[in-house]
Amino acid sequence: MQWMTLFKKEIIENWRNKKWIWVPLIFILLAIIDPISNYYMPQIIDSIGGMPEGAVFEIPELSSAEVILMTLGQLSSLGVLVIILMSMGAIAGERKSGVIELILVKPVSYQHYITAKWAALLSLVWTALILGLTACWYYTVTLFGELPVISLLQIIFFYGLWITLVVTIVIFYNSFVKTPGLVAFLSIATIMAMSLLTQVFGRFLEWSPNNLSGHIFESLMIDQLTGDLIATAFVTMGLIISFLIGAIILFRRKSLAE
Amino acid sequence: MALLSVTNLSKKYDSNFAVKNVSFEFQPGKCIALIGPNGAGKTTILHILAGLLRPTSGNVKMSEINGNSDIRSFIGYLPQYPVFYTWMTGSEFLIYSGQLAHLSKKEAMARANELLERVGIADAGNKPIAKYSGGMKQRLGIAQAIIHNPKLLILDEPVSSLDPIGRREVLTLMEELKNEMTILFSTHILTDADEISDALLLLHQGEIVEAGSINILREKYQTATIELSFSHNTRFYQDKILQLSSVDNGYTEHDSIHVSASDISLAREEILKAAADEKWPITSFTLHRASLEDMFMKAVKK
Amino acid sequence: MDLLQEIDWQLVAPLLVIQLILMIVALVDWIKADDFNGPKWLWFFIIIFLSIPGPVIYFIFGRRR
Repeated sequence: MQWMTLFKKEIIENWRNKKWIWVPLIFILLAIIDPISNYYMPQIIDSIGGMPEGAVFEIPELSSAEVILMTLGQLSSLGVLVIILMSMGAIAGERKSGVIELILVKPVSYQHYITAKWAALLSLVWTALILGLTACWYYTVTLFGELPVISLLQIIFFYGLWITLVVTIVIFYNSFVKTPGLVAFLSIATIMAMSLLTQVFGRFLEWSPNNLSGHIFESLMIDQLTGDLIATAFVTMGLIISFLIGAIILFRRKSLAE
Repeated sequence: MALLSVTNLSKKYDSNFAVKNVSFEFQPGKCIALIGPNGAGKTTILHILAGLLRPTSGNVKMSEINGNSDIRSFIGYLPQYPVFYTWMTGSEFLIYSGQLAHLSKKEAMARANELLERVGIADAGNKPIAKYSGGMKQRLGIAQAIIHNPKLLILDEPVSSLDPIGRREVLTLMEELKNEMTILFSTHILTDADEISDALLLLHQGEIVEAGSINILREKYQTATIELSFSHNTRFYQDKILQLSSVDNGYTEHDSIHVSASDISLAREEILKAAADEKWPITSFTLHRASLEDMFMKAVKK
Repeated sequence: MDLLQEIDWQLVAPLLVIQLILMIVALVDWIKADDFNGPKWLWFFIIIFLSIPGPVIYFIFGRRR
């Protein structure tokens, strides 16, 4: 009951501040830019003067899977940035303004407060992601060739885990950092550090969440889910749960400490 | 049985005590003022009682609570500067608060309407809070604090930021609420405390320096004096008064006699009795009471 | 000019439509609001002239909440 009250309030707030409009639109935009621009790449190169005389530059024929991989790359950079910036104040903002005082003097469970925020953000982000990836899939199928619907569902599910982790990291920092800007900075720093670790110790971190896009790509290429993808999914879920529990613990401690 | 009892409460930030070894308790149905200058630790104590802050040591017990139920269900709290979700309407915020305190949506709606009416902002109920004035926000703040019918209402400096009219309205509202719940409020304005509270807690540098009902404290700290004037022969009557056993001291200034005594009621009795028996030509008789200000200064200096 | 002729506008139209909707939604919000970070007129130019990022920057940083 109380959880639904908290959850509904978040949904209404995001509707009134128009996040429910602009976040999905941005995700659709980001997700269809790559299929379209790659489709027109030869014309674009022509129109800016073409290739120099004698230069032999074969523009490789892109497969559907490659186009999807490019889109996931787009979402993992600009998309993730949008997610972090739009949710950096989720709790930190309420602490900073002071409104959290009026909420926490009511018999509100700290766990409900955190998980309702988390779930509300996820419902927004997943909606944006589903719309974006479906639009991307439509363009890819139209312009580059076959890709079964089941593949789209797999992409949405597994890539959604990555996005869920991003949201959870932002909530984690929100739980104990009071400044929205600092929340954004720490979230970005964490994701970059994870990415760096994954690159440097790639051999040992095959199942790092940062490799989700890569494993999705491999699975699309061989047309079946790889063991690596499934293992990475489990690692990601484990991290999501850990960050979420950490957020609840730190939120309670921080709230009662000052 | 005491509604609330606080034992050896301390809150330490780094090496400084914001609140130091504070103990007190109070009965249901009272209105208690927590008095002290800014920085005395009033807000810290209220935060701990409201369940917003964990004390470094000591504990808070509420008689209504059995076992592991949430103390916050029995407490309503209004911070000094309440901040709301400005995108909500006043009515929406009240309903939301009520639901968070485990009222059903229906109950919360009914209660929200009732309270909007009661605190006098019914007309603005459907306007966004962003458009509310300071006084309206304070009233909305009181409404959200009592939405769930708490046993104890805690108000942090409820009137100090209001203009005289708003102040009067909030004090009247508090006077009414006294009949329904116990009120604990902090203030640094002593006249407000004097006006509506039954008991006082005087706080100074994180410690309670004095506590008790206003009347008892008054007696304890009374610096009361009696001022008399006579139509003639002032000097003569001054000597007479000084001979009374209950009178400690007296002097004449501007033709009136100022009398002090350790037991001022006894002195009053003796003087009036002598005056009646001997037909003194008294033209005025005034008993000057101690102000809270005097009491506070005295208690702090102790 | 070849490029313009070769492009299938049906494919590209959604890009432009989405951009337009974003801008309109941002402008509607901008007209009604009065709690900006910085001067109001500045946000108008950001929304209008920074095509795609403009409205997004506005939605994230424009209002004080």
